[in-house]
Amino acid sequence: MILKILLAGDGGQGIQSISDLLAQASFANGFFISQIPNYGLEQRGGVSLSFLIISDEEIAYPRFSEPNVLLIMSEQADARTKKFKNADLPTGRQDLKLDINDFVEVFKENNILKQSYNIFFLGLITKFLADKNILKTEQIFELLEKKLSKKTNWEENKKAFELSLKINK
Amino acid sequence: MNNNRKFLYGHELVVQACLDAEAEVMYGYPITPTCEILSGWIATGKPSLQTEDEIAAGFAVCGAVLAGQKAFTASGGPGHILLQDGMSMAEGMRLPFVIIVGQRGGPSSGTVIYSQQEVMLACFGGNGEGLRLVYSPATSRELYELTRQAFNDAWQYRFPAIVLTDGYLLKMRSGINLAEIKIENVPAHQLVPEDKIVHWPNIYTMEEELNEQINLAQKDWDEISPPIAKAEILETADAEILLIAHGIVGAAVKEAVKQLRKSGIKAGYFRPITLRPFPKKDLDNLFMKDNLKKIIVIESSSGQLARIVREQLAPEIAVGFEYLQKPGLGIEVEEIIDFIKNN
Repeated sequence: MILKILLAGDGGQGIQSISDLLAQASFANGFFISQIPNYGLEQRGGVSLSFLIISDEEIAYPRFSEPNVLLIMSEQADARTKKFKNADLPTGRQDLKLDINDFVEVFKENNILKQSYNIFFLGLITKFLADKNILKTEQIFELLEKKLSKKTNWEENKKAFELSLKINK
Repeated sequence: MNNNRKFLYGHELVVQACLDAEAEVMYGYPITPTCEILSGWIATGKPSLQTEDEIAAGFAVCGAVLAGQKAFTASGGPGHILLQDGMSMAEGMRLPFVIIVGQRGGPSSGTVIYSQQEVMLACFGGNGEGLRLVYSPATSRELYELTRQAFNDAWQYRFPAIVLTDGYLLKMRSGINLAEIKIENVPAHQLVPEDKIVHWPNIYTMEEELNEQINLAQKDWDEISPPIAKAEILETADAEILLIAHGIVGAAVKEAVKQLRKSGIKAGYFRPITLRPFPKKDLDNLFMKDNLKKIIVIESSSGQLARIVREQLAPEIAVGFEYLQKPGLGIEVEEIIDFIKNN
């Protein structure tokens, strides 16, 4: 089993943070992990990518161009990930493809804060990985609680995570 | 399968290697992708100084090692250029100068995380003959091991030692069991005795004096090169094409060779672990039989490794060369396989 996850958004959207949680939980469950960030000079505003591989064998090389899971959280990120093969194909070739544009209504209806979008997507990816027995939803929630519960907007983040678990996607 | 593996970043492994090597002080100026080596070292509580720039950091390392301290620095890109000043002094005075270089894209500020474009700078960047030890790790584990090795070889042989890595390896997180790695340390010692007056110049009045010093250093270099030079070599006995790469690209090439073999292509793998001294004998020896028809050099630069390979390969060996070069870009396993299959 080898799963290649590419998370893409703007700097400041929390791409690296959610990648960290997924990596930590999968590692704790005994999987081989490689995780590398990719970003430019700018701390905020530039494109921020995270390449995450979860495997039950040693990982040869940390970069890839055919992700099984692709998250696109911004227009810039969309443009940058086009070059990755299959990125513009409809879901099907990719096991899971999440595009922020498909969730505008959901965010509106449920009053999800912009700052919590990443946590919402973390939830969706968590569900996907939980179905594959790579990690447990509770594991991610615990890590999330540890990381964010003392910070502002915790209730909003919690809401976004819980909503994602209920969404059928 | 987890056992005692810890989930660590490459930069954490470097800091741990420096601690385990009994390094005493770090001088540096932060630049991506090596900032976390400086901040990580400061967090250990060991002595450190963030100097006003990399030139100062380089000479601070020279001063500290003269006083017998295991000192080191870390940098990349434009910072690596500025450090060449101190590294040249270390090369001239035979100082055990240790530096971890995180290559980033160039020229100039380029990009901040990855490339293999600082090979020439690391190997031959000074105003001298390039007598510096240059190690190029392919994996997180090797990053740790070669950092330990750099301190040991620097203090044993008294040449500057450069761990030439990149932001992929430094920023990558992976599982590793450090408890299984056992390396003995070469202790630091005072290079100038306190009770003696020593004239130890880095500048000479007579051209003959300088020439004599260079020749002496070269003689030492030639003697220590065979035991230090190392390569990882696989699947060469019946290989028809030889894939050469260094650093993290080597890791991708190794996997590509495995997969090419499965589809019946007779590919071999040669990865210099030390770029200086280059494992020349190991490479030449692969051509004792005449199975190898072609060398393919694969790198994230427009030919810096290829230049070294062509220069080091014995001139009487006639073999064709091809190149897969992606300056400033990572090279993936699948791309390598496609390239070989389409050539």
